[in-house]
Amino acid sequence: MKIFEQYAQLAGTYDELFAPDGTPRAAFTKVAEQFAKLSAADFARAQALAELTLLHQGVTFSVYSDSRGTEKIFPFCLIPRIIAAADWARLERGIVQRMTALQLFLDDVYGEQKIMRDERVPAELVTGAAGYRPMLRGVKPAGGVRIHIAGIDLIRDPEGTWRVLEDNLRTPSGVSYVIENRVISKRIFPRALDAARVHRVDHYPTRLAEMLRSVSPVAAEDTTAVVLTPGPYNSAYFEHTFLARMMGLELVQAPDLFVERDQVFVKTTRGPRRVHVIYRRTDETFLDPEVFRADSVLGVPGLMRAYAAGNVAIANAPGNGVADDKAIYPFVPDMIRYYLSEEPALEQVPTYVCLRDDDRKYVVEHLDQLVVKAVDEAGGYGMLMGPQATAAERDEFRAKIEATPRRYIAQPRVELSAAPTWIPDRGGAAPRRVDLRPYVLTSREGPWVLPGGLTRVALVEGSYVVNSSQGGGSKDTWVQKP
Amino acid sequence: MISRVADHCFWFGRYVERAEATARLLAATQSLALDAELEPQACWRPVVVVSGEEEQFVEKHGAEWGDGERVQDFMAWDADSSVSILRSIRGARWNARAIREVVSLEAWETINELHLYLGHDDAKTEFRDHKEAFYKRVRSSTQLALGLLRSTMLHDDALDFIWLGVLLERTSQTARILDVHHHAFTAPKRHEVVETALWLSLLRSLSGFEPFMKQNQGKVTSDAVARFLIGEERFPRSIAYCVGSSHDRLRRIRPPEERSLPGGLTLERLRVLDDFVTSRRRGPESGETVHELLTHVVDETSSICDSLGKELLGYG
Repeated sequence: MKIFEQYAQLAGTYDELFAPDGTPRAAFTKVAEQFAKLSAADFARAQALAELTLLHQGVTFSVYSDSRGTEKIFPFCLIPRIIAAADWARLERGIVQRMTALQLFLDDVYGEQKIMRDERVPAELVTGAAGYRPMLRGVKPAGGVRIHIAGIDLIRDPEGTWRVLEDNLRTPSGVSYVIENRVISKRIFPRALDAARVHRVDHYPTRLAEMLRSVSPVAAEDTTAVVLTPGPYNSAYFEHTFLARMMGLELVQAPDLFVERDQVFVKTTRGPRRVHVIYRRTDETFLDPEVFRADSVLGVPGLMRAYAAGNVAIANAPGNGVADDKAIYPFVPDMIRYYLSEEPALEQVPTYVCLRDDDRKYVVEHLDQLVVKAVDEAGGYGMLMGPQATAAERDEFRAKIEATPRRYIAQPRVELSAAPTWIPDRGGAAPRRVDLRPYVLTSREGPWVLPGGLTRVALVEGSYVVNSSQGGGSKDTWVQKP
Repeated sequence: MISRVADHCFWFGRYVERAEATARLLAATQSLALDAELEPQACWRPVVVVSGEEEQFVEKHGAEWGDGERVQDFMAWDADSSVSILRSIRGARWNARAIREVVSLEAWETINELHLYLGHDDAKTEFRDHKEAFYKRVRSSTQLALGLLRSTMLHDDALDFIWLGVLLERTSQTARILDVHHHAFTAPKRHEVVETALWLSLLRSLSGFEPFMKQNQGKVTSDAVARFLIGEERFPRSIAYCVGSSHDRLRRIRPPEERSLPGGLTLERLRVLDDFVTSRRRGPESGETVHELLTHVVDETSSICDSLGKELLGYG
């Protein structure tokens, strides 16, 4: 049997590979032919080989719920998700525009707060956001950049329109899988990759290193940049080591660093060495116990003083959480209009802000049609999938919303697009829902979008949750050249 | 380099070397037990004593040395034993994982694969049915990893620290194994044939059989073996080679002329040990027993490791 032989599209969704008549979409004819030739047995063999390679290389994530420190490979599917050149051009433009506006918003929030005075974003939503850091007001980051690395989560509705679902402006993860998945595609499907004419993704670490040096308080050639990890027990530890290796930077933990005279140093076997740029993969509340958590022994005492003095650049800047707060998200299109005097190039998902009386009233009365999200949770936690929830679960959320309306937003459930995905039990491909997370690097010269991204797929039949912690997997994302 | 990273490098080297040493010792002893018509206890007890694990073993199993199965099981799989193959490979892998950006991908993969293998039922089956093949696999993988480190990594401080770990571990392994055997084999007078078999087994467990034969034209005596394992600078498991090479490595990490850098005390201590071993290339000085000489080497090596930890590896 061939892998697409019994493929049936998922009603009411946009199929990423096939047109409604069942033939491959025009831009993908050649590459779809290559995959259509594969038999189930060939495919199963290739998939097993690829998974073993990942396990041996230690391309794994740690499972938090397992105290023995179990490591798993991130499940993935060898059938790529392909994006046509014209689609990508639109996306790229929209992402650059959005990142520019979000950066200006953060400068404003930690500066004059004009957008709040002009009442384009409610001041109480900004100052009430969990990620807002009033102590950082007036602090200008070295290099001027705040959102050095961003991951923008996009979905595609049944008409095929791209919509932004979420911005990740703190420590977005997953880019190592983008690069590793491509290594595997190259090895296993060189001909299909060639037929599809795909943008490369392996130069991401080089661009990342250049970006980090570009924001240094000293000359790029005199800069010491490091990657700061919470350590091997962190779920994304593989990625931290991967990026450090690919960039040739040292991977440090907080106890390796110390601050003296508002300068940061790393303890080495040859004595202290000055550090100028920190790509931190730790949560900002663990950066500096002097500022964020007096009770914590984690972090580098004095780091924020060095940062405020402009002696070290921290990527991403602390305080960004106010801009990717789920309750601020509905205002991003207004930010684009306000700061750039442009219309947003990307759609997003209509959102009800429970803090507003009218919105809240609507939400509690229509819980069976809405997806409710806690604004300060991520990873698919703290969510109510209204249409699939039980009456008891809906009652529980109704009470929570009434108690702390600032904590909740609601959105209509969007039918995510589906992509053909290898299902071992069936010995063939079946449609599974996907999203897309492109990665954006912003240096002093402005944003750059990696032509590719992490396609996450809900492997469980009928599921909408693509998070790796909840049964999600990934696919290689092939962005076609024009 | 970062002190914490140096610490992981050092221990990565020590654990890989330790796993290999344990596998080699068990394989050689198994072969001895088949040939030498000795009481099982005379073969297997020294294996545990050499490792400094006699107390642990007796606590768990009493002084029941058994037919070798029990000792081998303990030395291969006991997670509480600081020298077991399982624990050494776990330790090596844990340290390597903490410095994934330092260890080359090839070397990491080799240790990670061995770690995954040991966690799999296949390894238990192989151990039960074909011990020789099991030990071979552990040795091949660890030796491959050590070779890959040299052929795929930048020859800088990180490799120097890994190698320093390997060499200091090997110094004390050789000293202990020679000490225990020298004591056990020479105390009660045995038949010459049996004694020769014991010495040959010892040489095999240190991969030193052929090199020794080349140097001594087949003449095996306890003094000749001791002299070879202590003083033969061209043999990479002799004490003279290991101490001399550790000294070279540490001089690269911390050049003697750069007095402002940390590490001066450790370097001086290692220099003194190197001189001590060099002066005994032809065996112990008069009035000094082999046992005294080896005890000094073991104690000094351990002190050097402590001092290294304090000065360079960030132990407070």
